[in-house]
Amino acid sequence: MNCLAVREHLAELAVGVLPEEERPAVERHLRWCAGCRKEASELDQAAATFALALAPAPVPSGLGDRVVARIRQAAGAPGSRRRLRTAAAAVVAAMVAVAGLGWGAVMAGRAERFADRAAQAERRREAALEQFRKVLVGLPLGTQLPEDDTHLGQLAPTAAGRVGGGAVLELVSATRIDFVIVIVNGLPRGPGRLPYRIELRNGTGDVIRAGEIATLDADGGGQAFRQFQNRSLAGFSTVLVRDAAGRVVLRGVVGRAEGA
Amino acid sequence: MEGLLAGNEDAVRALYARFARPVYTLGIRLLGSAEAAEELTQDVFLTAWRKAARFDAARGRLSTWLMTIAHNLAVDRLRRETGVSRPTLVLVDEVPEVAAQGEEDPLIERDAAVRALQSLSEAERRLLARAYFGGLTAREIAEADGVPLGTVKTRLRTALIKVRRANQEKERL
Ligand SMILES: [Zn+2]
Repeated sequence: MNCLAVREHLAELAVGVLPEEERPAVERHLRWCAGCRKEASELDQAAATFALALAPAPVPSGLGDRVVARIRQAAGAPGSRRRLRTAAAAVVAAMVAVAGLGWGAVMAGRAERFADRAAQAERRREAALEQFRKVLVGLPLGTQLPEDDTHLGQLAPTAAGRVGGGAVLELVSATRIDFVIVIVNGLPRGPGRLPYRIELRNGTGDVIRAGEIATLDADGGGQAFRQFQNRSLAGFSTVLVRDAAGRVVLRGVVGRAEGA
Repeated sequence: MEGLLAGNEDAVRALYARFARPVYTLGIRLLGSAEAAEELTQDVFLTAWRKAARFDAARGRLSTWLMTIAHNLAVDRLRRETGVSRPTLVLVDEVPEVAAQGEEDPLIERDAAVRALQSLSEAERRLLARAYFGGLTAREIAEADGVPLGTVKTRLRTALIKVRRANQEKERL
């Protein structure tokens, strides 16, 4: 889809009535085209004006406390029995940051204008790691994640997948419960795609199934989280994301987080 | 927003104080009940907290970002609940009353929004409201009104661009 075709759809997108079948192509374009994205965000602002102009309804008292409680619950209270989950929630937030970072660059990297894709990919990885570290430092962690246990990697589209991307974090440790978090973005939601399944592989061909992504948001984004009680993830550094038909659509390799 | 990202409670409360009303109001308008509007409000702020890292101040305003999240979540919910591809939205006096400029309203956003909508004709306001609050697609509006689809799309776009221009002029003042 070119810019001209995309712009014809942006008004409908802004007011939320762009038909389902036309949306993915438009959203994919917006991920890498800054010009159309600017146009879209200005039209979003115009649409939001409608919501902001409504005569305000009285908000129930106590709702603010319930909102804060819900967020606190999602973050996990430090020192509670759900300490591991606290760390996981923080890492999810961090990974969302990584996945959101430079998304345009991921898609634009596929376009012709970047002569040196390899250099681009390397810079992206460094930026992602830096962002990850910054976010992690800013988060109230109930449990510290030792750096050498933390393996991080980016997911890139395969020839069969063509679109989307993501990030993976594996916590690998002898003394702790291992877990893996996968964040994806830009994946198609069409029929036959969902659920996406996560697969981990080591060098000798062993496979660990690491959960599935059953729903995607409007950005084609979703996440999977799985923890393992009796199984070490050591060595399982290759990460595959398969669609419902079994095609590998994203692939990546995790490495130690300090390797930036 | 950095505070929100870090899960800082004060940041959440500050954001809530500023935007709870328009978010809740949109929930009432689209979902039709106080209970559903309250759930939507919780979901919106939770989503904002989760997606805080994705908010880019250079690309848009905080109010737009939150109201877009709210609108998307509400429409998703209606689609889920009705099980159809198009939302069956609650249609109650859909057009914001431009005349009622509540001076008692503390929200600068609302005041500016009401004035921006004054740049539209009654027909344009109604058209945008049928889509944004009513969930009618361009095709459905075209069929209902007996006008070509292209015409509806052009009118939608023209109306939104008028609002955008009014918003921009406001910012320059
Ligand atoms: Zn474009």
